Amino acid sequence: MTGQPGDVPPDEYVEAEIQNMLTEDPSVAEQGITVLRRERGLVLSGEVESPHRREEILRRVAERFPDTPVTSDIGVIRTQAPTQVEELP
Amino acid sequence: MVIRIAAVGDVHVDEDVVGRFRPALEELPDCADVLLLAGDLTRHGTEAEARCVAREFGDLGVPVITVLGNHDHQCDQVPQVVKVLEDAGITVLEGTGTVLECPGGRLGVAGVKGFGGGFAGRCASDFGEPEMKSFVRTTRESADALAAALLALECDALVALTHYAPVPDTLAGEPLEIYPFLGCYQLGQAIDSAPTALALHGHAHHGTERGTTPGGVRVRNVAHPVIKQAYSVFHLGDQVD
Repeated sequence: MTGQPGDVPPDEYVEAEIQNMLTEDPSVAEQGITVLRRERGLVLSGEVESPHRREEILRRVAERFPDTPVTSDIGVIRTQAPTQVEELP
Repeated sequence: MVIRIAAVGDVHVDEDVVGRFRPALEELPDCADVLLLAGDLTRHGTEAEARCVAREFGDLGVPVITVLGNHDHQCDQVPQVVKVLEDAGITVLEGTGTVLECPGGRLGVAGVKGFGGGFAGRCASDFGEPEMKSFVRTTRESADALAAALLALECDALVALTHYAPVPDTLAGEPLEIYPFLGCYQLGQAIDSAPTALALHGHAHHGTERGTTPGGVRVRNVAHPVIKQAYSVFHLGDQVD
């Protein structure tokens, strides 16, 4: 988690600003990240295509909102070949 | 006879993703007759990102057919993106269709990016400010183009390929408030106006895989974050077992 204990929890305007930043910031450009406002800070969840993108999201959010405690629960989507097919008769 | 269709959408390729899909893609000729890509191939729609897509999804040993997504429009370089993809042998559909001769029969694929607008009873109307009318007219023109492309194809099995969703079923998991930005009922209506066997879309990262149109056409959301594998494979036609 980023931020320090005792930081002021984010309000819904901060939540909205982060959500917009995740899409509009060219270094992020993610529409699939959920920003969840909890009592002690924000939780970012969802999935991205590479570990680099996950790191970049956290870096940009911490840079822009240094006093907002943020917990990351962002995964990287698996790219294995399928093991089953769907039959559509 | 069975036509084997592999599909994925929303792969958002850039330099950092090149090579991640390739091992699974190398297996495609063994398990599919065609790969369909449901848009959002890139992050920002730049020519450089399109080159990454061409490296990752070009020269696969099976035909590759795609529509573009909203991300592929972000940098206003659509003509350049399309040219890079087509130079790599990838067919890009937008209000158009193509027919492939597969061992199991002739597969027709009609595609369009589509647009938002919402679903029956909870959708935008062609009324009021010019911006709103322009929004809804874009929705309708896109759906009309899909219907015309579907009806123009002569084939044994017909597939509709879009980026935006044609039904709300496959959006389950997304916040209800954003459904009008994820798809529109007019695409479903277009799909139902033709003898469509399967409709594939992406765009809704938090949605679910399966749904049907009001006319009973099977719809699959193949967005990569939804299917959580390199691609899904569908066998269209007679049951094999």
